[in-house]
Amino acid sequence: MELHVLIVDDSPAMRAFIRRVLDLSGLEVGLCLEASNGEEALRLLEDNWVDAVLTDINMPQMDGEELVRRMSGHEVLSLIPVLVVSTDRTEGRIQKMLTLGAKGYVTKPFAPETSREELEHSLGVVHGTE
Amino acid sequence: MEPNEIQTALASAVEEVLETMCFASVLAGAEGAVPPEWDGAAPAFTAELHFEGSPSGGFRVGVPLKLARVVGAGFLGREETEVSDSQAEEVVCELANMICGSVLSRLESKATFQITHPELAPPEHGISFEGAGTNRWFDLGDGILAVSLELQQTV
Repeated sequence: MELHVLIVDDSPAMRAFIRRVLDLSGLEVGLCLEASNGEEALRLLEDNWVDAVLTDINMPQMDGEELVRRMSGHEVLSLIPVLVVSTDRTEGRIQKMLTLGAKGYVTKPFAPETSREELEHSLGVVHGTE
Repeated sequence: MEPNEIQTALASAVEEVLETMCFASVLAGAEGAVPPEWDGAAPAFTAELHFEGSPSGGFRVGVPLKLARVVGAGFLGREETEVSDSQAEEVVCELANMICGSVLSRLESKATFQITHPELAPPEHGISFEGAGTNRWFDLGDGILAVSLELQQTV
């Protein structure tokens, strides 16, 4: 399955890293959109459908918390799984983001296989046994 | 908090971040701002950030220009010659962010912290961490990476 994703992070270097990790993870990535904050992400989502959003939390203008809150409250955007990618590993923050509507949470640093597992979990991908 | 505990957290966090995100290994490391034989005044990218929580404080990462390109190349999956100054700066800021987050979670896993965006000091300032909290340097083969953690006393 080819995945269309939106990466939201204010650091171009981190966006490039996440994109690279997705490629290394073995996931088939199709369209890969990028936004530097929540506002930009919402604008892109008005015109583009993606299978998953990967977002940082601390960003200028609109942070990841507000992005997840807005997406959860939207009839259509609430259908898109959001995976949070953050340096914040505190239990309180993780719980808060999951309660707001995020489907998964990956803490930086992370290995390619971690991002794949979390993305598949967020998308509800089930592996068959042969 | 014991100084040894902080040193251990710094060492583990730096190794984890460099190995996982930059595919780089630490060859050696020790307490102190820079090794005795190393020139701390050499041009370096130094990223500084602050955090609020319990405890609050500041964190700095210093990386000489050449090493910043090597680390940046590993992070971005490019050749050293393809990494611009601004990309190397961004990667050093990301390193500061990730290492600080990792250190804090090792020291206080239950606490919640607000971490500011890293700010860069001009390269000509070099790495000058003397007297600024707990310092540790790491030899990556291509140069020395230095970190400094300053914790405010809580009453």
